[in-house]
Amino acid sequence: MAAGADADTAADVEAHSDVWVFVEQHAGDVAGVTWELLGKGRELADQKDEDLVALVMGEAVRETDIPEEAIARGADRVLVADDPAFEPYRADPYGEQFRHLVEVRKPDIALIGGTHTGRDFAGRVAVPTHAGLTADTTELEITDEQYEMRRPAFGGDALATIICPNHRPQMSTVRPGVFDAPEPDESQEGAVEDVEVVVGEDETLTEVLEREVGDVADITDAEIVVAGGMGLEGDVDPLWDLADLLGGEVAATREVVEEGWIEPARQVGQTGKTVRPKLYIAVGISGAIQHVEGMDDSETVIAINNDANAPIFENADYGIVADYADVLPELIEILRERLDAQEVTA
Amino acid sequence: MTDGWNIVVCVKQVPDADEVSIDPETGILNRADAEAVMNSPDYNAVEAALEVRDVVGGTVTAVTMGPASADEVLQVAVGMGADNAVLLTDRAFGGSDTWPTSLALARAAEELDADVVFGGEETTDSSTGQVPPGIAAHNDWAQLTYVEGLEPRPEEDRLVAKRDVEGGYERVAADLPVVVAMEFGENEPRTAGLHRKIYAETDFEPVEWSAADIGVEDEVGLAVSPTQVGGMATAEPVPREQEMVEGVEELADHIVEVL
Ligand SMILES: Cc1cc2nc3c(=O)[nH]c(=O)nc-3n(C[C@H](O)[C@H](O)[C@H](O)COP(=O)(O)OP(=O)(O)OC[C@H]3O[C@@H](n4cnc5c(N)ncnc54)[C@H](O)[C@@H]3O)c2cc1C
Ligand SMILES: Cc1cc2nc3c(=O)[nH]c(=O)nc-3n(C[C@H](O)[C@H](O)[C@H](O)COP(=O)(O)OP(=O)(O)OC[C@H]3O[C@@H](n4cnc5c(N)ncnc54)[C@H](O)[C@@H]3O)c2cc1C
Repeated sequence: MAAGADADTAADVEAHSDVWVFVEQHAGDVAGVTWELLGKGRELADQKDEDLVALVMGEAVRETDIPEEAIARGADRVLVADDPAFEPYRADPYGEQFRHLVEVRKPDIALIGGTHTGRDFAGRVAVPTHAGLTADTTELEITDEQYEMRRPAFGGDALATIICPNHRPQMSTVRPGVFDAPEPDESQEGAVEDVEVVVGEDETLTEVLEREVGDVADITDAEIVVAGGMGLEGDVDPLWDLADLLGGEVAATREVVEEGWIEPARQVGQTGKTVRPKLYIAVGISGAIQHVEGMDDSETVIAINNDANAPIFENADYGIVADYADVLPELIEILRERLDAQEVTA
Repeated sequence: MTDGWNIVVCVKQVPDADEVSIDPETGILNRADAEAVMNSPDYNAVEAALEVRDVVGGTVTAVTMGPASADEVLQVAVGMGADNAVLLTDRAFGGSDTWPTSLALARAAEELDADVVFGGEETTDSSTGQVPPGIAAHNDWAQLTYVEGLEPRPEEDRLVAKRDVEGGYERVAADLPVVVAMEFGENEPRTAGLHRKIYAETDFEPVEWSAADIGVEDEVGLAVSPTQVGGMATAEPVPREQEMVEGVEELADHIVEVL
């Protein structure tokens, strides 16, 4: 271990090249943020004239279509670490395997989804390799051969630029919904390579006793989002009715998720998803900076709140100061009539 | 382990999130104007540490790395019920990113012979969430992040946690020593009793350690930090119409417009 022993020896920056993206999969299901990162990674690799490398870990992932899909989504090469130790996910074997590959193959940059999985193990790669690790990058560009990562701080009030001049790789986590996922292109070509697995069950420090995972909603691509806050006091049915009527997705604030009224995958904000719909309807949401950060790029924002001073109105195009319980049933009624009428005329 | 666990809880002093402002001319953050408080997710970490101590026995030691004035957050933790506290303070720590910050806390945890180290999900100022996994990585210890609940198993030298994962949850058993990052909001932090609070703020003195005391004087600070903050800008508010409508009909008009 002794990560501190060579603390002041900077990396040989020149020796590092290629853009790496971690492919997050659980039991064969790939987390959507992976494809978003491959899209961004492709852009960066083209600019630097380097390879885009996707890293897949899991058990029997070689036989799935994940490696092929990574190629269709832009990867030049796919590294596969296949072993029972990687399923289900655990931080210690993932971190150790990734660390080994980074030390041997020396990527210039590594992008990891800012999910509970990615944010869990990224440090176990960055610490022993003494890599720079930026959290929650929202903008990433190359200036003078150097990556500039921008990330929100102070809940979203400030945007900090993080650089990593003397250490490699430059690692970053990115929350879901920040970058766009390109459509897969089956005509893309790439190579799949099995890598040496350096972890074994004897060295692991943890054991997964139970794992309960259902379908995971993906709200990041929704064109219409109907989001609810604590003002609903758990009365979330009208949200679903409105979302169904408009063909949109339901979302929520972190507090509502903590109450268990809406599932965590639908949380919008700093520690949740970033959404960029055409229409965002915020119902009973105060508009805390940590929430606004995840919906600020919506084209049109509508707010329904009974407090005229709620900050959400400063972040909305159209607002109404009223009790949601009065507004939503009437709104649904009116919209249903209008949409029916449109269908008849269309 | 009959005499319980050595529990360490890491707490950070941050500017009160509601009071941070940015000088529009210089772009410099006015952290000095904001009151310094304990990072709100760290209340959940302290509460979890106390709950585990109540079940298993042992002691809870609060640790913070920061300027001398950061002892205020140690007082908060002691007021809530922590037994001891350590203030890591040294000019050498200045400019540390998460790599040396987690190294210093990792060495302090070793020095305290920790069985379990608690931290918060992330801070309200720089919010990386990277410090708890960093502590575990520096010491090659197990880690449990986004934790919703805990089942201590002292007889097995293990800690079992319920973790929040995308689409559900998992229960993971970790060998001691282990670093735990509590999910923000997952428990009800206790309020300090009056007597305890007065004790924490008057008689109580934390132990103070310098970088040399934990043997990291050459491994902390800006020079060993791989990342640097190259600049900071105020996040520009997105321009919005901010138009208030009178009735639901009008609201429906605007929705239909977008559709
Ligand atoms: C580290 C950290 C990370 C965080 N990450 C996130 C995140 O990712 N996403 C997120 O959302 N939050 C996040 N938060 C929490 C955030 O700070 C706010 O606490 C949260 O967004 C508030 O949720 P809310 O608007 O539902 O509730 P409240 O702030 O309680 O607002 C409820 C609103 O409903 C209105 N209301 C009440 N009754 C009615 C009624 N009958 N009709 C209409 N309106 C009504 C009230 O006027 C009020 O404005 C984070 C906090 C921290 C510290
Ligand atoms: C604007 C800005 C952006 C930054 N971005 C990055 C970045 O992307 N990558 C990077 O490596 N560094 C970054 N840094 C540096 C980083 O903020 C510091 O290293 C900081 O001291 C620890 O990180 P955090 O606040 O994000 O802690 P987090 O990892 O969010 O904290 C999680 C938990 O760890 C514990 N903890 C954290 N700090 C301390 C402490 N000082 N004492 C005791 N317990 C603690 C607490 O329990 C806390 O709840 C940034 C700094 C600034 C000002």
